[in-house]
Parts: sequence; structure tokens; C-alpha cells
Amino acid sequence: MVSISFFIQFLLNNIYIQSNVLRPYLAAVRSTLTAALTLENFGSQVVERHNKPEVEVATSKEVLLNPLTISRNENERVLIEPSVNSIRLSIKIKQADEIERILCNKFTRFMMQRAESFIVLRRKPVPGYDISFLITNTHSETMLKHKIVDFIIQFMEEVDKEISEMKLSLNARARIVAESYLTAVSVQSLKTISCV
Amino acid sequence: MDGAFRKIDVDQYDEDVLHESELYDADPRSPAEVLDDVRQRQGAVRSLLAKNDISGALSVILENAPYGPNVDDAKNLNLQTLLTVLNTTKSTDITNIIKTLSPDAQDTLMKYLYKGMGLPGWGDISGSVLLGWHEKLTEVAGVGCIVRTMTDRRTV
Amino acid sequence: MILLESHNYIIQTTILEKLQKPGSLDVVFVDFDNVRFHLSTPQKKTLLVLSMNIRCWDELVQYGALDVLKREYGSLVAGYVEPEYNVSLEIDLEQAPTDAESREAFATSLSLLKRNALAAPFELGFTTQKQLENSSGQGDLMQIHYRDEEAMYIQAAPDRVTVIFSTVFQEETDRIFGKVFLQEFVDARRQPSIQNAPQVLYSSRDPPLEIRHVPGLRNSEDIGYVTFVLFPRHFGNPSVASATISHIQLFRDYLHYHIKCSKAYMHSRMRHRVSEFQKVLNRAKTEVATTERKTASGRTMVSR
Repeated sequence: MVSISFFIQFLLNNIYIQSNVLRPYLAAVRSTLTAALTLENFGSQVVERHNKPEVEVATSKEVLLNPLTISRNENERVLIEPSVNSIRLSIKIKQADEIERILCNKFTRFMMQRAESFIVLRRKPVPGYDISFLITNTHSETMLKHKIVDFIIQFMEEVDKEISEMKLSLNARARIVAESYLTAVSVQSLKTISCV
Repeated sequence: MDGAFRKIDVDQYDEDVLHESELYDADPRSPAEVLDDVRQRQGAVRSLLAKNDISGALSVILENAPYGPNVDDAKNLNLQTLLTVLNTTKSTDITNIIKTLSPDAQDTLMKYLYKGMGLPGWGDISGSVLLGWHEKLTEVAGVGCIVRTMTDRRTV
Repeated sequence: MILLESHNYIIQTTILEKLQKPGSLDVVFVDFDNVRFHLSTPQKKTLLVLSMNIRCWDELVQYGALDVLKREYGSLVAGYVEPEYNVSLEIDLEQAPTDAESREAFATSLSLLKRNALAAPFELGFTTQKQLENSSGQGDLMQIHYRDEEAMYIQAAPDRVTVIFSTVFQEETDRIFGKVFLQEFVDARRQPSIQNAPQVLYSSRDPPLEIRHVPGLRNSEDIGYVTFVLFPRHFGNPSVASATISHIQLFRDYLHYHIKCSKAYMHSRMRHRVSEFQKVLNRAKTEVATTERKTASGRTMVSR
């Protein structure tokens, strides 16, 4: 048990260090998102009485702006696609191994199934990314812009932390499970030796 | 019955339809000229780097950067030249160098930073270098610089 | 509760209760690995019939399960078998022991019915090992298909008994979690306190050498093989042998039980984390003024 708690301590330290390394990345996302979140109400130019997120329908080029990518490395990227009345932000979350991949997949799916309560969340990620947000002018009118940015940044910070903590707890559990099973078997064999 | 006519995009025959070329003024030079120009500047940058004049080197690269369609070779070459400059700069010098650049050059630099981060393969540059530059550039030039990158159709 | 118990709790409590106060009953219940039980009083209140249906009964009989049950339960094993079940015990409550302690023991021994039936191939394996000790060669490979797609293989050798489980992971999460768990089983033996435990080997996808010749083995991603190597010290004396059997035969259930537990834990964690995110997002919402507006005539204005 002592070794496990040491291990957890070590990883928590790691997470702390990591968040320092993460800082320029998050700062870049924050400033880009702040720049992109300048949205206004904009009815469709193609179909009368339609008012849809232009970044999704993509029917008029002149209201779509240049998509920007922010990346730390190949496996951690954010894509921000701005348009006149909506922006789409997609995140690719770090996945070092099979376990992190499955945990990340579970977590994002869990969130996206609750997209109606996370009003800015998209139900499906953009291909090549793990989770996408769609922020429209309605959202930026009913919510405080800097708080929306805070939410996205906090999500990015904590999702990494959550995944590594889940992985840790899985490993710790597996170890305890294996040890108690094998102890149960080996205690008896010790008895045999004393009997013999 | 043949239903293929239903799939025809009739909007393209609209006389008001917007073409890519109307979004911005095209570069008057031909692609070959642009590529030549970039090559020449690559040489100039090398000699400036040898003299340790990083801000001069950056100004040379960022001025008249190639943009628009059909000049992908020139764009990539210019990006490579820029990345070598960024990579060789000490992180403590970055802020001062950025301050010496003209606002237009700062905007162009921002465009290149995003382009560099958007590349699928990474080449020989690490993400933290670009992120470091991005952070300092945002400090100096402000969020407006990012907005100009987003809205400027003359993508590098 | 980390370790699973090998007795059936329902049998134990019901028998104890009926020993106190006989009454008519008719219950059907299940245990691990789709084992079905039927406990009833078809004729009179004091005559309980306990029947069990187990998927691999024919194989177990072949390896001496009936003898084991006769040894454990003696005359309780009924001469008939209820339809749809494999074996029946007849328990006459009037002939059951009377003092509390032996009643407890009686109920417990009945509740171990499934364990005892599954113990037969293990016991056969252990005795075969004894016979082989002075000769060479291998015992027969015993196959027990206790689930539709999963089986247990037992083989005796001159110095050891090998037990192999094949286990199927139904979905990818199970497979990956299972891998983590099984890796820990392999690694945990390095600890000095449990070095006496049986050696555990694990391979996914490819079956181990001992059973590679068995026809009909699946060779897909979602299957795993776990091998336990039991040495005479694990079954040398009868009480240790019986404890080892109880533990080893529950291995597959133990593993999957904990995989499910981890998944449930992950789920509750995610639920918590997502509600935290929800709070952060709610902080972004601006307060809408909710003062009631009224017209001059006193009607309430409603915004639609």
C-alpha cells in the first residue's frame, strides 16, 4: 500500500509539472478563442427565413473565416473554425496508450450524450478530433464570453487530469485485486509447508 | 427515370455567385517569379542570420510573403526559412525582436505561426517553440493580431 | 468485498430458515456461470428438493462428479433427477442435525453444491499427478466448457497440475481492462509475501501450448488465456487442496466481477466530473431578471 501511495504522489507531482508545461498551449487556445468569439446574429443568405450556424451549413464562403489550429504536438491539437455567427472548436485529447484511448473515448462519449445540458457541446466530434464545441451568437448573447472561454480552458485542463487519474485508479485496483487473490491462495500453501 | 439533373448545383450559375478570386486581390506576380523571390530571400536571410541580425532576417521573410493559390512551393519554402529562424532564437530575446517588427510583419508572423501548428507532419520543430512565439506575439500585438489572421483571405 | 465466496448464499440462508421452521416453498435462482438452482417442497413441508442445472454436467460426470457428490452428500443424492436439471438432492429436515453448530455446517455443505460438482476434475487432476510422480508422461487434458464460449482445461503432469482458463471479453473496454488486471496478476507474484502463490501466465489471442491442439479454439482479439501452474504444495494436504480448488474455480468470475466494478467506478467518477463541468458552464450564464411585470390592469406579462 505504501508503494501505491508513493506512486500516486509521484503522479500528482507529474500532473502539477505538466500543467506548467501545458500553460503556453492553453494560453494560445484562450487568446485564439477570445479573438474568435466575436459573433453576431446573421440570417442565411441562401435560404430565406433560415438562421443557422454558418460554420455548420457552410453555404456562403464570405462569412467563413480561416480555420486556425493550435497544437502542442501531433496528438494534442485544437481546431478553431470561426464564422460570422458561430464558431466550432474541436479538441484532440492526448492518448498515450490503449487504456487512455478507451478512457478518453468513454469520457467524451459520456459528455456528448449529455449535450443538451451542455448547450455549447456538439453531439458528434469533427472527424480527426475527440470532442467538439459549437458556440453560436445565441450562446455568446446569453452567456458571459470570458466565462465560456474559462469553461473550455478548464475542460481542457481537467480532462487530461481526469483521464490520468482514472488510469491510476484502474492500475491500483488491479494490483489490489491480484494481490488479495494470490495471497488467499498462497497463505494456504504456507500452511501446507508448516503441516509437512 | 434519370434523376441526375437533381444533383446539379444550380447556385454556380447564379450571376451573383461569389468566386474565390473576388475575396481578395490576387498577387500580380506569376508563381515562378514568387518562387524565385523566395529563394533569393532565403539567401539573404542566411547571411543576416550569420550576422546574428534576427529581427532583420524576420523582416525580410515576412515582407511580401507569398499568398494565394498556385504558389504552394514558395509558401512552404518561406515557412521552412521562417521556422529555422524561429528555432534559432533564444526565448529571452523573442519579445524584443517582435517589438522591432512593423504591425504588418507581426500579422504575417501570426499567420505563419498558425500555419506551422496546423501542419500534419511536424518536421524539425517542436510545438513549444511556436507556442512560445505565439504567446509573446499576442502579448505585444494583442488579440487584434489574431483576428486579422482569421479574417485576412490572403492566406500564407 | 474483494474475494468472492464459493458457497451459495441463498441456499445457505433458506436451509437454515427451513430447519428452524419448515414450510412449503418453490424458488428458482441462479449462481455464477449460468448455473440454475431449484429449491422446492414437492411432497411435504419437511422434504426439500434441491436441484441444479450446470452447463458442463456431462463433462463433470465423466471426471467423477457423481462420486464427489456421493462422498459429500451420501444418501442425500436423490435417485431421480428433476426434469430440466442435472442433479437433485433430497433433504429430509426431520433427519437433519439438531444442535445449532452442526446445522450451520449442514447448511453450508449444501450451499457448496456447485463448488463440489466443479471440484471433481480438480481432484482427479491432483490424484493423477500423484500417480504420475514416479513415472513420466502426461495426464489426459480435461475440458470443462462451463460457459458457451469459455472453457477450463486441467492437465496433470509428473510434477504439477496446469489449469487453463479461456475467457472472452465481450467489448473492447472489458478487453483492455482485463489486460491491465491480468498483467497485475503476473506481476504481483514478484512480491515476496506471495511468492508461494501459483504461477500465473497470461496470453491474449494465442492459446498456450498445452491446449493448442484442441479443435475449435477461437483465435480472435477478444479472447484471453490464463494459466495457473499448481505445484504439490498447493494441494498436498486435503484442506489446502479444497481451498485451492474453491479459489481457482472462481477465477473467471472474480476477474470479470472486478472488471465490472471498475467500470461502475469509472462511471460514477465521470458522472461527478461532468456535473462539475456543468457547474462551470452554468457560471457563464447571465442572470436573467425575473421580476414580474404587470400591465396597468393588473395582468401578468408572459414572455414567450
